[in-house]
Amino acid sequence: MATKTAVAPTGHRARRWDRDRLLPYLLLIPAGLALALVSAYPIYEGVRASLTQYLYGRAHGSAGLKNYTDVMHDSTFWTAMGVTTKFVFICVVVETLLGLGLALLVVKEVKGIKFIRMSILAPMTVAPVVVGVIWRLIFSSETGFVDPVFTALGLGAPRMLTHEATAFWGLVMVDVWEWTPLLFLICLAGLQGLPQEPLEAATVDGAGPIRVFFNHTLPLLIPVLAVGIILRLIDAIGTFDQIFVLTRGGPGTATQLISIYAYNTAFNFTDYGHGAAMLIALLVFVFLLVLVAVSLMRRAARKSA
Amino acid sequence: MKSRLATPMRVTALVLVVLVCLLPFWWMFVVSLRKRVDIFSGPSLWPSHATFANYTALFSEYHMGAFLTNSTIVVGASVLVSLLIGTPAAYALARFKLAGRLNSFGLVGALLVRMVPPILLVVPFYIVLAHLGLLDSRLGLTVIYTGINTSFVIWMMQSFLAEIPSEIEEAALVDGDSRWTAMRRIMLPLAGPGLAATSIFAVITTYNDFLIALTMTSTPQAQTVPVGISTLIGKIQVQWGPMAAAGIIGAVPILIFAMAVQRHFVRGMTMGAVK
Repeated sequence: MATKTAVAPTGHRARRWDRDRLLPYLLLIPAGLALALVSAYPIYEGVRASLTQYLYGRAHGSAGLKNYTDVMHDSTFWTAMGVTTKFVFICVVVETLLGLGLALLVVKEVKGIKFIRMSILAPMTVAPVVVGVIWRLIFSSETGFVDPVFTALGLGAPRMLTHEATAFWGLVMVDVWEWTPLLFLICLAGLQGLPQEPLEAATVDGAGPIRVFFNHTLPLLIPVLAVGIILRLIDAIGTFDQIFVLTRGGPGTATQLISIYAYNTAFNFTDYGHGAAMLIALLVFVFLLVLVAVSLMRRAARKSA
Repeated sequence: MKSRLATPMRVTALVLVVLVCLLPFWWMFVVSLRKRVDIFSGPSLWPSHATFANYTALFSEYHMGAFLTNSTIVVGASVLVSLLIGTPAAYALARFKLAGRLNSFGLVGALLVRMVPPILLVVPFYIVLAHLGLLDSRLGLTVIYTGINTSFVIWMMQSFLAEIPSEIEEAALVDGDSRWTAMRRIMLPLAGPGLAATSIFAVITTYNDFLIALTMTSTPQAQTVPVGISTLIGKIQVQWGPMAAAGIIGAVPILIFAMAVQRHFVRGMTMGAVK
């Protein structure tokens, strides 16, 4: 062996070595270009648009930072940010608690898990637009069952999506229906990947199930749970499709998330500058969240590998 | 005592969960089979006088055929191209130690593109496509989806390829294969299941996209199925029956695809972080 490697490479071998060294970089080029086309280039164009004055959809020269100061003084923007924050926070907390609770409940039940997994995949795999359609049908006083059931109980039809006080909670319900399964599956995968010995040892030592959970299970589950939560968080900030189908941000501004407001600003009022400024500001914030997510995910991936 | 009580509780909870997940789909299906007059005569869990009229109306009056064609072309082309350019990149990141910490930067860069919610990029996308003259075209949509899918392919395939022991490949190299032949002859067959799962995930997310298609297209010549569904919701009147039928058409192919990858589902949704 040693003599073989000591032999100087022949001309043929040396060429192959060079080609092999270049190969990975060549393999990266097409993908790199494709990624740049949907990231660097649009972001550059977005920043440029945010510094441009638009009138009826046409560029009218440079605006300096005016679009950004306009956004800062735009009370509708801040209302939308408030609604978004509330929506994201409530949804993620409820989905995490429900998902974790259900996962703990069934972790030992192996029978039937395939069928269960298949059914709970349904809400989160179909298009969010379809989710919107489903719940529009259910909430509607013409085609749904919510209003008739309440009427039959003598409580009066709630017409949830048409009242400012309840529309928001209707959307929270829809989001919880759609995304709790994801957190459930992530928690289940995490729980099933846990080492059993420390948990059993603690039980043998006389610790109750609640003590075992908080002292042993939860700390071990945190890396996986953190990935699930932050992915959901980032995704929830961008929630658009379901709301577009269900309420379009109404009634009033009760369900106007930042995504809906930015969409309306850019595409209904064709003020691309104002819309772009809003989205660039939000992008910086989400970008930071994504960086946190990436480091968490790489750590979790390394652990489960 | 505890365990005897716990099992019925578990079973009840599971049955409830399954019902809550599936009943809304059943509801949509029932509405899609009912005639307009029947819909307005009150809710029902069972379609009386079931008819496919809503489905035929979708194709004859609401361009569903065009939407399905557009979706198929755009999804197929973008997933294929992103697999072709993303898999080699994933291979490079998984198997080589690259200069300048390119391994980390490549992966992180890919993930960034994937994770930023599309709403944050639609205005710039719109401007870019307007520059290129590709608004309201299948080509324009395909270009954007290809870029986004490539980022997903890189992450998923990198994680699948890293699991294949490099000794197998090194053995092929010792046998005299070039890197290229080893990749084709050894790695590709071993990565087959991962490749299948990755492409199905890419198909699901691309077919489901609404926001990008909504903003980049405006006519049935390029609009996809989700956008088509949303056109049935008018400002004043909603076409309940056709809308429910369109929802079923939008959901069914995806549910079939999802069943094929259910084993990899968590992995796909967390981009390989949780297996």
